[in-house]
Amino acid sequence: MRISDLLRMGIRSLFRRKIRTLLTVLGVVIGCLFIIITISIGHGMDRSFETQVKEYGSLTTITVRNYGIIYDDDGNWAGSREQKLDENLLKQIEALDHVRAVTPVLNAYVQLVSGKYQSGVNVMAMKKEVFEDFEFPELSFGEYPTDEDSSTIIFGYYMPWEFYEEYGRGSKQVDLQKDSIIFKFNPWQYRRNERKREFTLPLRNIAKMEETNSEFDYNIYMDLEYFKKIYLQYCNTLTLEDRKKAVKVLDEYEQIKLNVDNIDNVAEVQDKIRDLGFQSESLLQYLQPTIDASKTLQLIFFFLGAVSMFVSSISIANTMVMSIYERTKEIGVMKVLGCVVKDIRSLFLFEAGMIGFIGGVAGVGISFLASYLINKYGQPIFGALMSGGAPMGDVPGATYSIIPLYLPLLGLGISVGVGLLSGYFPARRATKISAIEAMRTEN
Amino acid sequence: MKDKQEYIIEVKNAKKIYRMGKERITAVDDVSFFIKKGEFCCLYGASGSGKSTLLNLMAGIEKLTSGQIMIKGRNIHRMSEKGLAKFRQNTLGFVFQSYNLLNSMTALENVELPLVFKHIRIKKRRKLAREMLNNVGLGDRLKHKPTEMSGGQQQRVGIARAFVSNPEIVFADEPTGNLDSKTSMEVMDIIKNMAKANNQTIVMVTHDQNLTKYADRIIHIFDGKIEEIIDLSKADEDESLIETDMMPVEQT
Repeated sequence: MRISDLLRMGIRSLFRRKIRTLLTVLGVVIGCLFIIITISIGHGMDRSFETQVKEYGSLTTITVRNYGIIYDDDGNWAGSREQKLDENLLKQIEALDHVRAVTPVLNAYVQLVSGKYQSGVNVMAMKKEVFEDFEFPELSFGEYPTDEDSSTIIFGYYMPWEFYEEYGRGSKQVDLQKDSIIFKFNPWQYRRNERKREFTLPLRNIAKMEETNSEFDYNIYMDLEYFKKIYLQYCNTLTLEDRKKAVKVLDEYEQIKLNVDNIDNVAEVQDKIRDLGFQSESLLQYLQPTIDASKTLQLIFFFLGAVSMFVSSISIANTMVMSIYERTKEIGVMKVLGCVVKDIRSLFLFEAGMIGFIGGVAGVGISFLASYLINKYGQPIFGALMSGGAPMGDVPGATYSIIPLYLPLLGLGISVGVGLLSGYFPARRATKISAIEAMRTEN
Repeated sequence: MKDKQEYIIEVKNAKKIYRMGKERITAVDDVSFFIKKGEFCCLYGASGSGKSTLLNLMAGIEKLTSGQIMIKGRNIHRMSEKGLAKFRQNTLGFVFQSYNLLNSMTALENVELPLVFKHIRIKKRRKLAREMLNNVGLGDRLKHKPTEMSGGQQQRVGIARAFVSNPEIVFADEPTGNLDSKTSMEVMDIIKNMAKANNQTIVMVTHDQNLTKYADRIIHIFDGKIEEIIDLSKADEDESLIETDMMPVEQT
């Protein structure tokens, strides 16, 4: 038979039993719809997860603090202990596999003074070479420290919050680019040598970050070496006794931050740091349960989709068996008239494939509609389902279902494949029918 | 038998045994005969005599138990399934007692069907089928479905279908079995005339003695065996033989 004749005869026999064909197609539509929507929600979850994670910071960053939090087996807080972070540990961590960048972090509480107003801020000093590795945000003005000039002080988007009068109630917003600002270390921590002048540093080289909705917004950053330099200058203004204490601070770091080359290696690196005897923290560690939950959810969805596809494949097979049963005599006549076995098989396979194809096309069409509706009205259900925290919850225009280009093709492919697969054995049965037996049956 | 080329169908010691549970029924019992090209051959016998089985064996629809059947010098029971299908497409035509038309198709489409299997383009086969239906007098019924036609009309569609690919041999199994005597005669005339026009060989099964008069050769089957073979073509000039029809003749 020619392809065109195969097509004509196949479509004719599908149309002969409209209701039955329709019902069988419906099964495929549901299966196809389920699979596409499942995968599209999976993509939506991934997307929302990514945006969510960006708000918290990089997923590949691990932080080792000078106090390690100890969790019990169930992940409950069980206490904390001191951890000594020194140059030695830094080298050990640097030597670990998958570690892309390491920096010690020194924290300091400093005072910024502008006229009679002042503001307390937290300074984080890190190696300027690794700023890029830790995905420091874009700057709205100024420049990141360079080898030539490492004196830049970078303000997070919300820093400084406000300047207050030391003994009054007045406050004012300071313009970083216009107003003069003086940098001082925490005056209450160590005693100053009365004979020396107080350490002050007029800020000239200022940069400011864009908004990131992450921890960057609430800190002030500077290069570690430059920080050490000014800190030692500051130490020289202290009393002999306190100077020793103050200088010693530089030997031990508050944090060590490291960046891992791949998100999949975060847990491994954390395990290795634990082997070194240190507790570490990563964002991934907190998000892992969310990731696992969303993966489980997707798995369940996909399982449901697979089950509904399986059911529809049974229904296709049933339809085909019925169709062949009804047309036994026809098959016999066709065989006697010289129809080759291959044509009979193709005829029934075509019918089965056609059911799958029609179901697939309708399923793809409806899934686009469903995806649109989910994104428009699905917020109450899917908003809660997707994000562990609030941020995604009330984002207008959030997408919960994303259909990438390959997905309709995949859905269609699966539908046609299921049709052909479930049509194969009935079609084979049709070819096995003996012509003489078939012609004797009465329709 | 002198010139083998003359015989288009050769049946040699054909035997067909059915197994019904433990019982074995011999439907065709060691039958041998020849049919010449262009001959109208009638397998005549009472129902249950095995004549239909013999026809099915000759058409390759049923498997032989033993013996061989040669059509155009080819042993059809040695052919592959595909080879046999192709052979049927090109050489054989079939007319059935119960017409066996496809009810979902129009008369025209039914007649086209054998040509569809032969990969003939739609324009050409439409033309051939239409001509064929005109020949059987159904030129005005092309678009009718079998269910909308009388038995005689349906059988004429069946005949058109059998002859449309111009086969060398047409097998007819009780073609008039479901028709009244007047229609039967009409149908028989059509078959006879068509076969004559193209020098086609007809093998017809019937239990109706009236129809044997159309035949050139009558093979009388009784209980799976050949009772007698009457060659009317040789006795054409001897009218009396037709009158006395079933005079016992020496069995070959």
